[in-house]
Amino acid sequence: MNEERVYTVSELNRVARELLETELGDVWMKGEVGDVSRAPSGHLYFTLKDAEAEIGVVRFRGRSPVLVALEPGMVVLVFGRTTVYEPRGRYQFVASLVQPVGAGLLHAAFERLKERLREEGLFDASHKRPLPRFPLRIGVVTSPSGAAFHDITSVLSRRWPLAHVLLFPASVQGETAPGELAAALDRAGRFLLDGALLDFVILGRGGGAAEDLAAFNDERVARAVYACPIPVVSAVGHDIDVSISDFVADVRAPTPSAAAELATPDCTEMANLIKRAAAHLAIAIDSRCRSAERAFHSALRRSIVREPRRLVETCAQRLDFYAGRLLGFPNAVLEPRIARFRHADDLLRLTDPRRPLHRGYSITYRVGETSPVRCAADVAPGDEIETVLAEGRIQSRVETRRTE
Amino acid sequence: MKIEEALAKLEDITSRLERGELALDEAIQLFEEGLALAAATKKQLDEARLRVDQVIEAAKGTLSVEPFDVS
Repeated sequence: MNEERVYTVSELNRVARELLETELGDVWMKGEVGDVSRAPSGHLYFTLKDAEAEIGVVRFRGRSPVLVALEPGMVVLVFGRTTVYEPRGRYQFVASLVQPVGAGLLHAAFERLKERLREEGLFDASHKRPLPRFPLRIGVVTSPSGAAFHDITSVLSRRWPLAHVLLFPASVQGETAPGELAAALDRAGRFLLDGALLDFVILGRGGGAAEDLAAFNDERVARAVYACPIPVVSAVGHDIDVSISDFVADVRAPTPSAAAELATPDCTEMANLIKRAAAHLAIAIDSRCRSAERAFHSALRRSIVREPRRLVETCAQRLDFYAGRLLGFPNAVLEPRIARFRHADDLLRLTDPRRPLHRGYSITYRVGETSPVRCAADVAPGDEIETVLAEGRIQSRVETRRTE
Repeated sequence: MKIEEALAKLEDITSRLERGELALDEAIQLFEEGLALAAATKKQLDEARLRVDQVIEAAKGTLSVEPFDVS
């Protein structure tokens, strides 16, 4: 080879690519996934790294499907060849196969533990407790920095802001996570707020790779969920993720947001419920007033004077409680009416013909008549008369009269 | 009053009114009480703001409650 040879850039890149492809050939490589991006073309670009170094990896669309969604932090095995992307002189790895490390092993261990705990009764329906309808003290065991806690609090702010949320922080992935989760769950289960246990606790985290959710498949966490004195809502990962803690928990939610939704009532619905209750009240009082009205009319037919107190009830008519007018918070409509009613009631009390009876006066009727005796000429000796007193009546016979 | 108690009370007032056995005065009084309860409960819902605290182990075996900033 000519020692004076000057390569062009294109030539050098091509030679380098050929050397790498032929000399190194197809190899297996293991590493941790760094950044992942999927190009609109469908090709998948990610970096693989270990403690000291990293390399760009591309996986072209149309190869055998990647069985798991790649997430940063996952450890994967890739098979393919090392090459150079000539236009940019970029050294990279073209993967034809991508598979998570130990996926099969992990799955087998999961199934074994699940069976063992099921046989032991940790998943029994009889052990599952219902959630209270109106929870006011809600515990959450998760990472303070994760998306899960943010999702839970934003759903609760909108949906059920009456709640007081207490976060019991714990790592949700990594080696210490199972121990921290179990300890936090234990604290949440025994925690007293104003002397009372919490209403329930949400245990969870946002979505991640299978390895990231592993802590929720740990036996220590499963046992802590089972032993928890208050109901536990398990909310791990996305809809499709299933963890051991889901089986043990009293309630399983597909995601942390869903946990917050299904464990609380909606305050907008509650406000409507209250409006409906107020409408029912209005209908009930309206019908009560109508029945008073009917009672009044029938009393009127009998005798107005003997039942003067019934007059009061005509005022019911004026109240005119129509439910429809009360629906949009009725105090403004109602208060003047109630005041008017009260006023009329007072007036009637003052003019009640029975009132003087309490001061010692009395009213006299001829027996069988309804208008009172006003002068002595109204009766004749021998007539039966009836005297109405404040308390009771006296029947007597007229002996003499003076008409002066 | 706790919201569930207020709701239960409201239901109770409504059913007592619906039975129609009360004197008019009593019925009106109960009605006013029910409306006040409904208004107070709705106000409670409207004004509620989520409270978020975190519980951390300050020293071995002792827990402390601190406000947690969700923003």
